[in-house]
Amino acid sequence: MQVHLERRLETRTGHRALVTVLSIVAALLLGAIFLSLTGASPLVVYTEMFRAAFLSFYGITDSLAVAIPLILTGLAAAVAFRMQLYNIGAEGQLYVGAIFGSWAALALAPGLPKPLAILLVIAFGALGGALWVLPPALARAWLGTSEIITTLLLNFVALYLMRYLIFGSASFLRDSTTTNFPQGKPFPEEAFLPVLGLTRVHLGLAVALLAAVLLWVLLGRTRFGYDVRVVGDSPGAARYAGISVRRTIVVVMLISGALAGLAGAGEVAGTSHALDPSGLAVNFGYTGIIVAALARSNPLGVVVVAVLLGGLQNAGSALQSIPGGGGVPVEVSFMLQGAILLCALAGELFVRYRLRLRRGLPDELTEGARP
Amino acid sequence: MNDAVWVLTLAAAVSAGTPLVFAAVGEILAEKSGVLNLGVEGMMLLGAVTAFLAAAASGSPLVGLLAGTLAGGGLAVVHAFLSVTMRANQIVSGLALVIFGTGLATFLGNPIEGDPLKPGIVDLRIPILADIPVVGRILFDQDPLVYASWLVVALAAFYMTRTRTGLALRACGESPETADAMGLSVARLRYVHVIVGGLLAGAGGAYQILARVPSWSGAGTTAGIGWIALALVVFAAWRPWRALLGAYLFGAALAANFALQAAGVDAIPAEFLSMLPYLLTILVLVILSASSARKRLGAPAALGVPYAREER
Repeated sequence: MQVHLERRLETRTGHRALVTVLSIVAALLLGAIFLSLTGASPLVVYTEMFRAAFLSFYGITDSLAVAIPLILTGLAAAVAFRMQLYNIGAEGQLYVGAIFGSWAALALAPGLPKPLAILLVIAFGALGGALWVLPPALARAWLGTSEIITTLLLNFVALYLMRYLIFGSASFLRDSTTTNFPQGKPFPEEAFLPVLGLTRVHLGLAVALLAAVLLWVLLGRTRFGYDVRVVGDSPGAARYAGISVRRTIVVVMLISGALAGLAGAGEVAGTSHALDPSGLAVNFGYTGIIVAALARSNPLGVVVVAVLLGGLQNAGSALQSIPGGGGVPVEVSFMLQGAILLCALAGELFVRYRLRLRRGLPDELTEGARP
Repeated sequence: MNDAVWVLTLAAAVSAGTPLVFAAVGEILAEKSGVLNLGVEGMMLLGAVTAFLAAAASGSPLVGLLAGTLAGGGLAVVHAFLSVTMRANQIVSGLALVIFGTGLATFLGNPIEGDPLKPGIVDLRIPILADIPVVGRILFDQDPLVYASWLVVALAAFYMTRTRTGLALRACGESPETADAMGLSVARLRYVHVIVGGLLAGAGGAYQILARVPSWSGAGTTAGIGWIALALVVFAAWRPWRALLGAYLFGAALAANFALQAAGVDAIPAEFLSMLPYLLTILVLVILSASSARKRLGAPAALGVPYAREER
């Protein structure tokens, strides 16, 4: 008896969803092993996490608030994945988007009507993210430099840039009134994104949802989306068909960077109301990669997965203040997110292939032997 | 001993480059078999936290080193399983390894964050050789793992070019179909070399915490050197000896940062000095790809492509 892999001719959506759910279950089991190792009870921790994330009104709205940047960074990763490009610099593009957005909020917004002020902050955020991805995009398009390592390394450069602006210098973005602990200068009211009632859900949610729908249309229903798929599958064929490969690469990377920059601007204008380096550096960019991979680069799927992972991340930070989850560090959610992605990758095989158990010789040998 | 500052800086460059040597040689072996493992940073970080925990529990840095090495190898098994057996996208799998490894390492390291590590690695001065002016201080007044890294480079270079299995390894990365037809097990070769790569990355991470940084500081413990090691593989054109030289070049960028800060160079803010190694790495990658003749020099032809016999 032998196990044989057979490629499926078509993949069913139900099948994919089932594999994703099973991946999450498998990841939770894997996480349970490490939780037990540290002496925590996995059952208690998971129950508390679920309760914290999804079983109360403010739990749900907090999870949604965390999902906002994750939708945007997830879309940033997804649009590049669509064409086999790997922009893993969303983390840094988010920081630079936050820096640009903060500058617009402090320098341009005061005195302006609120809608215009918000529009400027958001536009500058997108611009900052796009500018940060431009050098790797150009290097990839014209020189063939792998964008994976260049975009990632720029994350560290962006982090130090942000630290310099707040901790290392008397920059315009730094609050000059406090000398004890350096922090970002508070934004004027005009630049605050409106929030939903007393929750932390801000206007960024609408922006993120709009971006998801626009991207879905752009990738699935337009000529440009078709070009993206062709370039991703076969650059040679694309060139033959008259599609400019270089231009497509640069445009897709710029869209990706702009989306990540939007996430950064949304965080500073919607949540912290100042440039706050430690509050921003919580892996939104890296988690966006997981979101995109789990959503299989589908913009609408990104929204669903981002809400799920947003809940997980929100629960992770809530755990520390919950009696039942005491002592479990916030990092447990990052570990679980990584585990979910690993399990989903393993599950991908069952989406693409059929497992067959067979007795005796492979078909190709027995077939030839028949008269 | 009153050595000139630049001599001490070069000595520090060798030490700073040593984690890169381990990780880059490991990655060269994995990539030569045809498997791209982007998870170096994750494996190094898990190796580092495991090394700290084991060294603190046992009081022996050697136990720490062994535990860290094994942890890196353990994480590599996951990548080998996903990319060889499950034929997953190697890029995504490698990224998943970084995210999972970082999450697991920071989760395990949470209770020890900031604690100083008592039993560090002690320097081993090689008699006679260390007395050579300048060179002696830079190369032969280091800790034992620096010398061990040279051994690893020499062994890897010999293995890849002078042994039968080394030839099989290269065949597997260049043309797995041919290797398969020759009767070699592509899957086994890939598993073994990805795992050896992980062991070496784990050792690099262990070295980072045992000899380089004063305490565990989460993801900042390795601060992206795993990614620099990946760039180094391209820079070295997949050759171990060149990886050693490259590691010291990048090590110099890492060490210069501290030397300039210590020397009190006020003209350049500390944050900009910290950006140097990353910017240098990006610059090197761009220049390398600009000279198109050597773009793919030494790169295994089947790098990153899963091998499925029935789909030849």
